[in-house]
Amino acid sequence: MTSIHVITDENKAGYEAILDDCFRLRHEVFVGERGWRDLERPDGRDVDAYDNDQATYLVALDDGRVIGGLRLYPTLLPHMISESFAHLVKGRDVLSGSTILECTRYFIVRERRMGRTDCRLLAAFQQFCLEEGVTEVTAVVEMWWLPRWQQAGFKVRPLGLPTMIEGQHCIAAAIQISEDSLRHVSRLAGLRGSCLVRATAAPALADRVPHVAA
Amino acid sequence: MSGRSLDHTVQVFEFIEESDSLASPQAIIDAMERSFAQFRFENFIMTGLPHPEQKIESLVLLKKWPLGWYERYTRNSYDRHDPVIRLCQRTVQPFEWSEAPFDPEIDSKGKEIMQGAADFGMRQGCCLPIHGLNGFEACLSMGGADLDLTPQTKPAIHLMAMYAFERARLVLAPSPRPNPLTAREREALRWAALGKSAADTGEILGVTERTITAHIGSACLKLSAANKTHAVARALQHRLIEI
Repeated sequence: MTSIHVITDENKAGYEAILDDCFRLRHEVFVGERGWRDLERPDGRDVDAYDNDQATYLVALDDGRVIGGLRLYPTLLPHMISESFAHLVKGRDVLSGSTILECTRYFIVRERRMGRTDCRLLAAFQQFCLEEGVTEVTAVVEMWWLPRWQQAGFKVRPLGLPTMIEGQHCIAAAIQISEDSLRHVSRLAGLRGSCLVRATAAPALADRVPHVAA
Repeated sequence: MSGRSLDHTVQVFEFIEESDSLASPQAIIDAMERSFAQFRFENFIMTGLPHPEQKIESLVLLKKWPLGWYERYTRNSYDRHDPVIRLCQRTVQPFEWSEAPFDPEIDSKGKEIMQGAADFGMRQGCCLPIHGLNGFEACLSMGGADLDLTPQTKPAIHLMAMYAFERARLVLAPSPRPNPLTAREREALRWAALGKSAADTGEILGVTERTITAHIGSACLKLSAANKTHAVARALQHRLIEI
């Protein structure tokens, strides 16, 4: 059963190996699969300026293995949209505020993209944000993600028009956080209760094997 | 950024805001007709992509499509040979019909279809594939005689098309609302609907009368009902309980 762990500066000491797995998988997905060469690093880890003590990670674990994740970052600090993608936001200022986060580096490992992992991670995302009093989350995504979010029950408003980035039509958008969306996506995910885990450390598993991407 | 491109942003955002309140397929068609006319689109169709055993007619969400062409298209099961449908199944990117590959030398059906669309006034077209959750596949295809397709208009069309599609999906296939009542609340209301008092129900379910009254009370709150009778009527009306 997939559970989604919250990792922040406070508990990351207990998740060292998990976080390293995340950085390695991010490198595989974003550099290896999607070809974002700017992120390429010789150690095979995708770590950028926003992987700092202000970041919160939601990490999907199945039997102790990382199968997906995302990163949340405060919009009151310089963040990816304000620093790198402000040109995607048209006709209004870059959305920022104490109850607004930015979501980046969303990924699901290749062999788990057909199932409910997406919905589980999205449900945990809505639940975490509700619990933290977050009202909206901004992100830059490929356009083909919009219908997936919408079908998951998310209310999404565009912040600009689609723009080509790395050969993909991308858009800056804001996801509204709401109980309705959480209910809808939880149903799609087949969740009866919460799958969000707030712990001080990763579950100890004697047989934890390194994840090998297909 | 040019002022012209900014204009499109405003138009698109207005369309998206308006689309939120469109409550019927016809209202969506009317709004699309108005908004897409500025790019000289005349016709459009939203449809699911058929599996081999499905007929495309059963998957059409809404359309403003030349009737003669629709009849000919479905009668001949053109969707089995349509280069546009074929490309839809392979890409998540929007494309112009002219970009859908087919070899007119050997693919006579493909040629017949593209020529047929042109004969019905759609010499040009755009298609937006939708690849959603759980294998949901669909597209919004739009055509006209002389479209205004430029690097400035295309992103606007792309985004508008996506929200038009989403609105149609929501209006035409509303997801069932989750039952707001808990299992215990439903049970308490069901017994009430059968004429049992709270004390009777408590006895049947092996709990106290006070517990049943509390369940009924919270059901009243959730259903905005004034009393137990009102709550039972509402729960039956909305099929939240069955007797």
